Amino acid sequence: MECLIVSNNPMVKEKFDNVYFIEGTSRELLEKVRDLVHSGSELLTHPLGASLRMMFSPYFSVIVKEKEGKLNCFHTEIIESSIEKYNQHMGVREEDIKNSKDYAIVDYKLLESALGEIK
Amino acid sequence: MKLEHRKINIKDIQFGEKTEVVNGVLFVNKEEVVAELKTNNKIKEVKIDIARPGEKVRIIPVKDAIEPRVKIEGEGDQFPGVLAKVTQAGEGKVNILNGVAVVTIGDIVGFQEGVIDMWGEGAKWTPFSKTLNLVVEIIPIDGLEPHVHEDVVRMAGLKAAAFIGEAGREIEPDEVEVYETGSMVEEIAKYPDLPKVLYVEMLISQGLLHDGYIYGVNSQQILPTLLHPNEELDGAVISGNCVAACDKITTYQHQNNPVMKDLYAKHGKELNFLGVVLTPELTTLAGKIRTCDYTAKLCKMVGADGVIVSEEGYGNPDTDLLMICKRLEDSGIKTVLITDECAGRDGMSQSLADTAKEAVAVVSGGNVSHLVTLPPADVILGNMEAISTLAGGWEGSLLEDGSFQCELNAIIGATSEIGYHNCTSKLY
Repeated sequence: MECLIVSNNPMVKEKFDNVYFIEGTSRELLEKVRDLVHSGSELLTHPLGASLRMMFSPYFSVIVKEKEGKLNCFHTEIIESSIEKYNQHMGVREEDIKNSKDYAIVDYKLLESALGEIK
Repeated sequence: MKLEHRKINIKDIQFGEKTEVVNGVLFVNKEEVVAELKTNNKIKEVKIDIARPGEKVRIIPVKDAIEPRVKIEGEGDQFPGVLAKVTQAGEGKVNILNGVAVVTIGDIVGFQEGVIDMWGEGAKWTPFSKTLNLVVEIIPIDGLEPHVHEDVVRMAGLKAAAFIGEAGREIEPDEVEVYETGSMVEEIAKYPDLPKVLYVEMLISQGLLHDGYIYGVNSQQILPTLLHPNEELDGAVISGNCVAACDKITTYQHQNNPVMKDLYAKHGKELNFLGVVLTPELTTLAGKIRTCDYTAKLCKMVGADGVIVSEEGYGNPDTDLLMICKRLEDSGIKTVLITDECAGRDGMSQSLADTAKEAVAVVSGGNVSHLVTLPPADVILGNMEAISTLAGGWEGSLLEDGSFQCELNAIIGATSEIGYHNCTSKLY
């Protein structure tokens, strides 16, 4: 399956070819994913982590399937509500830069698991 | 299937020359436990401590809590497919060192939170402040990959619990709980007028530090599966999830799953408890749709009138929770959800990352964003530095007198989504 990894994680950029790398924050990354979904791409992975702790991550990776065409409402709802939730949480918190190296590893490992599921 | 939980009430733990139970006191030979764990050549050092309720002790960062037990009758031993050979769990007799928990600690990655305070404000929020804790710190050899490190710590905790549990083999229990149901056909024939209820238990299944296991199989690799509650109450399900402190389901909580125990208590009286569906929470959307469809299908096949669904984690699993709810309610199956809330410091924000109009009966385990202030401890077991991370990423959380503010999300089991915790609600 043709997929694109949207990521701001340098480790992901280094290890994979099909990466749309964002030089920016996790919020900017989610916004890019939203733009892609609005242009018809579909989400292959959910844009939020599985715990509040992962919201502090300076790095995120989301896999999308590039498409042009009809907007997928289900996916639009997911990315919009994820951004809303992200903003709500990070309004009173800061990214955990001190542990960024570890977040990069966990983000990379979770991405690897997701790719294993997709193949 | 019939399982006996034979509880030996333990009133204290002390170090001793022999690992044994004498008059309700658990003596632990520290060197023996260390030697047993160090048979794994990936472990460099093991530190063992005791933390008792009321002591000014803080344990951080906690990986898992496990109840020490020994199987004295029936197939296999604790944690089949993991420590013991794969056998059918759920039948026989288990001796339990009641009131004791093996608590594993150790840094795998730097941002793991997870605290247990044995006294004061912090103790109010975690169920593991009331257990006598044997704290096992695992320091591995250098250069291990994080996933290997996680595996080493997880296995060491289970091994320590099984080793200590052995001390209860010959001891007569103080109380015995019996968990028994027949086949679905038999139970439906026995209670034809009672509503048929299934319990759907969701497990985080997403990769490093985000996994759960059934009979040693990573739940990422399974389709939703039908389980007899006794299997989980007999150690078939273990935790490998180490980042969501407040709502991770520890192995201890699986071993004593209160949803199952409560459904058992009402079985044959108010309802007919037919069994459990274990559902993985995957990260891909296709995976989520597949598991949610499959879960709903299993519930329909069994003919459930009502389903209780419990979640693990927060964020993307909220989507699974609500997709399952929608599918069940649309099929005419009454559905109750158990989750926790990320409702902001003031509790006023939307609680979950997703919504569905079908979610009409929801039980909350508490607000993970609720702020608490924890006073300084006399003794810290684990890593002092982890405390600065624990607070949750904002300036000024460390106060002048050494106490600090954190959200409930940093406290182990504070907002349990299977209800094994201290939060409750009050009607005014």
